Amino acid sequence: MDLGEKIKKYFKEAELYRSHGLLVDALEKYKSVEGLVKSTRTIRNQQGILKQIALKIELTSKKIQKSDGPKTTPEVAEDAQSLMKEMFSFDDPEAKGSSALGGAIALAKFGQYDKAIEELNRLLEYDSLRLDAAKNILWCWIQQNYTDYAVSLYQKWRKTKLFPPEEADSIQSYFNELMDKAGVDHEIDELESQRTVEPDSEIDDDEILDISSVRFVLPRGPKEGEKIELEISFQSGKYIRMIISRREKDLIDSINPGDLLKEIMFYSPVAIFSGEGYVSSKNEIDAGPKKGDYSLEIKIIKIVS
Amino acid sequence: MAVINLRNRQIECKLVFYGPGRSGKTTNLEYIHRAFKKQVTGKMISIDTEGDRTLFFDFLPLGLGKIKGCDVKVQLYTVPGQVKYKATRQLVLKGVDGIIFVADSLAVRREKNMHSLKDLHENLLKMGLSIRKIPLVLQYNKRDLEKKGLPTMSIQKMEHELNRQLKVPAFSACALSGDGVANTLTQALKLTLQSLQNEFKWAQ
Repeated sequence: MDLGEKIKKYFKEAELYRSHGLLVDALEKYKSVEGLVKSTRTIRNQQGILKQIALKIELTSKKIQKSDGPKTTPEVAEDAQSLMKEMFSFDDPEAKGSSALGGAIALAKFGQYDKAIEELNRLLEYDSLRLDAAKNILWCWIQQNYTDYAVSLYQKWRKTKLFPPEEADSIQSYFNELMDKAGVDHEIDELESQRTVEPDSEIDDDEILDISSVRFVLPRGPKEGEKIELEISFQSGKYIRMIISRREKDLIDSINPGDLLKEIMFYSPVAIFSGEGYVSSKNEIDAGPKKGDYSLEIKIIKIVS
Repeated sequence: MAVINLRNRQIECKLVFYGPGRSGKTTNLEYIHRAFKKQVTGKMISIDTEGDRTLFFDFLPLGLGKIKGCDVKVQLYTVPGQVKYKATRQLVLKGVDGIIFVADSLAVRREKNMHSLKDLHENLLKMGLSIRKIPLVLQYNKRDLEKKGLPTMSIQKMEHELNRQLKVPAFSACALSGDGVANTLTQALKLTLQSLQNEFKWAQ
């Protein structure tokens, strides 16, 4: 086969691989073509051809980078989540409520953490499911790298004596295992003593509406006294969480765990109300698309009006 | 694991299309969806794909009607083929009754086929199953690409590399046009139902 034919053949192969989505194989072939074209001077318009091939190589490399890059598991549509729950709930059909637990666990395993946590939180109400639901909630938070939140949740459960001693021990050893696997340095009691004691909340989780955003005065730092509004990214009863962009450095420095926010406006789709809150945590997100941003958590302790 | 209700004479079993990324698992299911309209009992669901790559799984329910006095329903699934989705593959494999391994005939995909077959073997072992015992059919897909001038592996070579020890039924196919898809599926269903018969004696 002469050189010209060989180049044409390789180029056609590269194009076909690319059209079949075999990007790595396509890239290799484009590079082979480039090598062949460079090695001969008898080709007309050599520079033009090389330029075209270089462009193909660049585009294919970018596509590979995009598909290989780190990704968080996407949240899928509700009907797809229902299918996951229905088809992948492998549990004891005789056990009461087990299909609800199995469904929530299936969602968690497919990375549908928010929905899984929402369903597992509901299952905490049931004596027979509480232990497994709690363990899986902790698992979900750790999988998302919200270790600090998992710790505070665990501590909250301990403090409120949600579990009898035997179950509390079981959760503690499970939680320690999770932290070990995640490579997190942990000493639960030590962590607990380092934390500021959170003020108790006057309100029940059931009393709190879904909150879409909050507005409050920054208590310290470069933006002290300024009013800001933040959107809620997650809510679990009286705990609300917001994401602060890493670019908002002044804002990040103006609020810290332990701060008491005396005047917060809570905006829900159906009402606006005011109250008090306590900054229970502020953590830099260390993985995923929000890496480098900050997660701020506020515990609502009082509703005024 | 199949759900067998002997009182109502109903069987529901699960078949999984396994194989390396881009080998044509979803294309197989799409063809079945188009060509077996009478048997399709619900819509085909492709859960979140990235471009045209499967991230979670595809699902297609089939109803085969009465076989030996039993109403037979089949759930077809595909797994995501890319190496990084191992955990999802393990999850989709749970409760599997039969497997169709879709191998890519392109010469450049030789190693990917072998790695994926090894991955299947490991995942089944984790579930306490053996690749030698589970109903399994191989499909050598994309046979048409040879005519387009792309280097493909011969059937003999693929048999030697993938099926030398397993010795399971294998079929040539072009999932895009549907060639070989029905044969592959029929054989996989036959093996699966036979295996369930040996275990549960469901047939009258």
